[in-house]
Amino acid sequence: MTQLVNMIILDEGDNVGVALRDIAAGEQARSANGLQLPAAERIVQGHKVALRNIAEAEKIIRFGVAVGIATASIPRGHLVHIHNVKSQYLNNDEDHYE
Amino acid sequence: MSRTSSHQGMRGYLRADGRKGIRNFVVIAYLVECAHHVARQIAQAHQTEGGQLIGFPGCYPSDYAHRVMEAMCTHPNVGAVLLVSLGCEEFRRSALLDAVEASGRAAKLLVIQECGGTRAAIGEGRHWVTQALAAAHAVETVPLDFSDLVIGTKCGGSDGLSGITINPAVGRAFDRLGDLGATLMFEETCELIGCQDHMQQRAVTPELGRELKAAVEKADRYYRELGHGSFGGGNIKHGLSTLEEKSLGAYAKSGTRPIAGLIKPGTRPPHGGLYLMDTVNDGPVRHGIPNINDTQTITEMVASGCHMIVFTTGAGSVVGQAVAPVIKGVSNSRVYQRLADDIDVNGGTIADGVETIDDVGERIIAEVVSLASGHPSKSESLGHQEFALSYKTYEPAGPACLPV
Repeated sequence: MTQLVNMIILDEGDNVGVALRDIAAGEQARSANGLQLPAAERIVQGHKVALRNIAEAEKIIRFGVAVGIATASIPRGHLVHIHNVKSQYLNNDEDHYE
Repeated sequence: MSRTSSHQGMRGYLRADGRKGIRNFVVIAYLVECAHHVARQIAQAHQTEGGQLIGFPGCYPSDYAHRVMEAMCTHPNVGAVLLVSLGCEEFRRSALLDAVEASGRAAKLLVIQECGGTRAAIGEGRHWVTQALAAAHAVETVPLDFSDLVIGTKCGGSDGLSGITINPAVGRAFDRLGDLGATLMFEETCELIGCQDHMQQRAVTPELGRELKAAVEKADRYYRELGHGSFGGGNIKHGLSTLEEKSLGAYAKSGTRPIAGLIKPGTRPPHGGLYLMDTVNDGPVRHGIPNINDTQTITEMVASGCHMIVFTTGAGSVVGQAVAPVIKGVSNSRVYQRLADDIDVNGGTIADGVETIDDVGERIIAEVVSLASGHPSKSESLGHQEFALSYKTYEPAGPACLPV
């Protein structure tokens, strides 16, 4: 694994990658299998980035498994998180502490 | 890579029922919140010597709580038990005392209302525990094999890397430990929502597969009715977007081997292999949230015989447990660097590209061997003794849950 790798794609059919370290806006997100795309916004370690344009109502695929549904269209390179994803099961994303 | 094959250092305490403990604790157990202070005062005097505080706060009777308390007091890591009762609570203290004595352990029941109040009870309790600890420390140990061990895994404060780093490493360690004959369990059916179909395929029989799936569907129904699932602010802050994404990461702890059974809290796995614990109430929503925190879930696995718990975290956790030591692993190096005193295994090295899942799995197994050889984990050496127990309701499990 090279120093440049900062994102992991868990399964080849996935439409999201996961940041292995913080990726700055404008920085290249690079996976070990050679895929590369510019991050359109900051992607914090452990957060997901869209590998391609994802349409509203499309499933978010991580490790080959649907882990949510897009609630808005998500352009390639953007953060994929609760502001644009909902659960197929129970949503409890209104519960925040702090 | 083969340091796990040498486990000559593992030693245990042989119990009358044939099980072996990795510790020889003296448990001080309060049977209602009103006896908590007295029990804590007794236990605190012996906290660094193996005096462990547990208890049930409720005053109303509960078959579930009684089962868990009895399992704790007759756990292989426990050598002697002091029960501390106020005197008028509804806990069936005589039945518990009988069960502990029948298990071959030293036991005493202290009733505060009968022995002269707080001061007298604390004095009498400390005197008894001092003697019980002296006897416990004099017990000879016997060799311990992996097949003697029961190990549970739990995650808390998961983040977006948990399912990529530390949880798959636990899964790898579980595969290896299972192959060596250990009994293993994973839990939290509410944190497996989304994984039920995959899990069904891993069952040793089709009937068990249906039970596994039904247990997760029960959790989904229960939490929908409750209106609050096991997913929230901490998970979101650290990159997880949905309950099913969290589940996918949690599920990785179970490794890849077949699932041998479905158990409920207090049920002991009949033989080695991998088991799922059903952590959600049976029946309608009753008594509120099934498990109020990570510690109650850990406690339930200990009630089913776990000698130790492998606990993984992303946000950072510091907990231990009163009866079974806890090994903690973390998913990312940032939190490891902040909480290195509390965390035994850093899985963040996988994301950093300096270690593989196999490497971290080996380090987890080394920690298991170390604990079973009498060395304390980080939380244990810091004096952590968390314990939580509240009201729940379970029906007996069906025959398909534990295939012969």
